[in-house]
Amino acid sequence: MDTGIGILAASYYLPPNRKPVADIFRDEEIPQEKLAADVDFQRDIGIEAVHVSGEVSAASLAVEASRRAIAKAGMDANDIDLIFDFTSIPEEYVAPTWSAAGLVQNELGATRALATAVNTGGCASYHTTLRVACAMLAANDRYQTALLFAGDKVPELNHTYYPITVICDGGSAVILKKGYDKRRILSVEVATAGKLHDVWYIPGLHNRDANDSKGKWLHMTADVPKFNKEVIPINLFMFRKVMRDALARIGRKQHEISYYVYPTFSTWDQKAFCNAFMIPPEKIFTDGLQRHGHLQETDMVLDYVDAMDEGHIKDGDLVMLTTNGAGFSWGAALIQH
Amino acid sequence: MNRSKIQVGVVGAACGLPLAKQFSSDLARAESISEDGVSGLGIEEVPVCRGETASALALAAAKEALQRAAIDPLQVDVIVDYSILPQEYLVPAWNMGNKLQHELGATKAFTVGFSGGASANVLMALSSATAMLQTDGKLKTALLVAGDVAIPGNRILQTKSPLTVLGDSGGAMVLRRDAERVIVVDAEIKTRGENHDVYYIPAGALANDDPEQYRITVDAARYDAALASNHLQDAVKALLARNGLSIQEISCAILPNLSRAHHARLQEMLGLAPAQVCACKLRDHGHLQGTDLVVNYLAMTDKNALKPGDYVLVASDGMGTMSGAVLLRY
Repeated sequence: MDTGIGILAASYYLPPNRKPVADIFRDEEIPQEKLAADVDFQRDIGIEAVHVSGEVSAASLAVEASRRAIAKAGMDANDIDLIFDFTSIPEEYVAPTWSAAGLVQNELGATRALATAVNTGGCASYHTTLRVACAMLAANDRYQTALLFAGDKVPELNHTYYPITVICDGGSAVILKKGYDKRRILSVEVATAGKLHDVWYIPGLHNRDANDSKGKWLHMTADVPKFNKEVIPINLFMFRKVMRDALARIGRKQHEISYYVYPTFSTWDQKAFCNAFMIPPEKIFTDGLQRHGHLQETDMVLDYVDAMDEGHIKDGDLVMLTTNGAGFSWGAALIQH
Repeated sequence: MNRSKIQVGVVGAACGLPLAKQFSSDLARAESISEDGVSGLGIEEVPVCRGETASALALAAAKEALQRAAIDPLQVDVIVDYSILPQEYLVPAWNMGNKLQHELGATKAFTVGFSGGASANVLMALSSATAMLQTDGKLKTALLVAGDVAIPGNRILQTKSPLTVLGDSGGAMVLRRDAERVIVVDAEIKTRGENHDVYYIPAGALANDDPEQYRITVDAARYDAALASNHLQDAVKALLARNGLSIQEISCAILPNLSRAHHARLQEMLGLAPAQVCACKLRDHGHLQGTDLVVNYLAMTDKNALKPGDYVLVASDGMGTMSGAVLLRY
């Protein structure tokens, strides 16, 4: 496949305030449903603290991350042709009527750009968006540059996504450029299992329970029995499928992958992934888990940036970015350094 | 012009409308709005749900569109959701496309959805799906689909006076790589970020939890200014120029169904003769978000007045936020 498109720059922004996970477990209601994995959720999660944005809006996190990416790329916002919001949780106003794409376009002064939002994929929305953005760039001569951004802020008392992880607030941004020969996107695969569409969901104001005094209508809600019964059994199979398909598109094999970027959900999840695919610790970035926990789709950008900045990824490396999302989607992208 | 020479065409389209309809005058009374205010819109009645869900309407439309295209759901490679109104759960954490994937049995497909842009969101779906089919040899068939059901008590949108009446609908289009007719020639879409909150729902997400504000809100002054500007004209001019066409060479222009006045303004802005706006279901459908363009497309094909090679312009001003047009060659 080789899209002929490269990652010109990537960046993120984490709000300065941090909240220890111990305090999050103290303040939030933690469900008691049994986990499929034989672990103690609170003891074994492996996250020390998460960033909390307080009064700062989700879109502001995205704007700051976007500004950092643009500065890193050494370009002007007016040079951006396409803007994609790939945020996977609710933003300031109700979607799909609204997205932060226009707001970010306006804040950046990217007046030439076409701004839209990809609103599916859960934490794999980065992959879904990469696929759409690469197609739009490749199919149209007039599009040369795309900004992909996300801004995630969870309600104050909804940092715990039991039985998966603890959520951090933050924003991320990536700039894609056609013809850029470094960090070339070789292939992107996405798979969705529609029957799992309602394993994770947020009820919404229109579904608010009359007795809801804690704003749970805006909280991520999990169908834990369905998660245990239907997601867990296929999860690694689906990871294998998207990674194999991504490799097959370019005629490469798993042993050629130099480095993996994988979501920072929990210790047991990272361990299960590494064991299943026989990935040694030095070939995968896991440090982000302890530092900040999980940032939805932004994990893929944040951990990729940190892995590069900390010297884990070198010129010539073939890097696999892979994730699952909201119980129903899986994504894999191969980046040639 | 698109670099790729691979042809992508519309091979099927359908709508899923609820059986019930309500007169605009009755809706005006129910929402305490003057009947005189809605009588000039050109909308007599709109389809309204009596318990049907948005995804049920979308599913009906998708099944019908696939049947018309003689395509089995198992052949669908990508499902693109262009819905605009609030869904069964909060988007983007949830997306109707996944539910439809399951209910259709489109097990091979993956799902994509777009937010924002009002009725122009369907143009974003058309443009991006075409790009995916043109550039990815593994993808042959795309299903574009939407389900939009108005918020109760929020059917008549107001600026200074009623702007439109919302109906409920599901809509679907099937795109196929290597199609031989109704080819998606090109698209041009522009957005004005400063208008991101001209058409939006103030409450129901992070900003606000006041149930009174959980309704579509239109900023009158900024909407009027956007409609008075030439944003859509700029997009259409760029599209036509890129393809060596003039507006007079368009056999049929398909526009959103907001009101008579809105239609007239877009015709004036684009320099369209009345005869070029050959299909309009404003009177008995009202405004169905992006599905306006699907019902009008179907009205056009039902007339059977176009011949191979004729150009069709599908355009929307996206409530001042997203202006765009897609050029089809019949």
